[in-house]
Amino acid sequence: MENDYYSIDAILAENQKVPCAFKVDIPDLGYLDGGSEKDIKASSKSQLPFWLTPVLLLSDFADCILPPPFSQRVRNALNAEATSVKLSSLVGSGGLWYGFGRMIVHVIEEPYAKDLTNVLVKTFKDRLVDIMDQAQHFGALGNHAGGGGDGQKGEDFREGLDGTERELFALAQASAKRTKQWYESSDKTRR
Amino acid sequence: MAFPQSMRSSTTPQELEFIASEELVEIRPTVKMDQIRFISGIYGPFTGGRLVKVPLWMAVNLKLKKKCNVVPPVWLNLEYLQDKLSEETSRPVFSDLPFRYAEISKVLLDIASDDLDQPDKLRSVLKDLREARQAKTREGLRAIDQNALSLPNLSAMEINEARPFFVGAMGILSQLTATTDATTI
Repeated sequence: MENDYYSIDAILAENQKVPCAFKVDIPDLGYLDGGSEKDIKASSKSQLPFWLTPVLLLSDFADCILPPPFSQRVRNALNAEATSVKLSSLVGSGGLWYGFGRMIVHVIEEPYAKDLTNVLVKTFKDRLVDIMDQAQHFGALGNHAGGGGDGQKGEDFREGLDGTERELFALAQASAKRTKQWYESSDKTRR
Repeated sequence: MAFPQSMRSSTTPQELEFIASEELVEIRPTVKMDQIRFISGIYGPFTGGRLVKVPLWMAVNLKLKKKCNVVPPVWLNLEYLQDKLSEETSRPVFSDLPFRYAEISKVLLDIASDDLDQPDKLRSVLKDLREARQAKTREGLRAIDQNALSLPNLSAMEINEARPFFVGAMGILSQLTATTDATTI
């Protein structure tokens, strides 16, 4: 999730759609919108991928609004209870909500940028304890599929993890599993 | 690197056990041996029944060949550990246990359980200790920020288990918070 041009995480994070409104007419590029128009007219709205937007904004060809994964509705839900929001449904199951948020913070102006950063950090911290909790629980279960007493809430949470959270979950689970296996191993049979 | 992602940032439990095996424990040898010189030091002479301090790896070796009896370390007895357990459950900080208590206790319970007093109860107290400390680690995680997280008195095995997760989480946090500095330039 770096700013590096070649970072795969950054490329994947940018692969989200942002609603934009064009300010000028653009001849012969109507196919970009998927419609049958020959030209793009001024003030027509379309969903464009995020990596197109910096160029359009700099050259003042279009205006963009805050994309849906970071709308006020989502922020209110996160404020209420961060662990119950399904981040994966906002950006698709392979998506990177935190990565996308970071990219947006770079292009928007100051007071909103700080707000969004705070939202990202707070959400991450709130969900972190649950990720660790679940990972250790599942690490301890070994190869059993599904959690016995875990129930629906645990599964919903795990499904709602975004890409970066899933990586952390896998790390914690692997180390918990290794430690547990070590505790149960015995050296007596070695000799 | 051909290592899987989770093994890149920490040691395996077996490696920690290996490192912990350098710790000295006391044994009562049952056979007579002269002084032996190893790279790590000179041990012995071993006369029957007298206490000798040797590294854990040597104690394990002799025990498996039935050439000694192990004397449990000061902290590996039921009352001490039960005290620590009640301390653990009553106060929010971690209690003071030897840094490598998990590895040493596991090896001794495994190899030399007949030299220990009530090994089954010891096992269950150790397990309770481990779970209480794990719960505290999770609580301590709430205080994380991208600069530092202080959890004093954590043991080697516990640190090792948490390390990949903690380091990953702090990395992500530092990337998220770096954005505020960048935009104010």
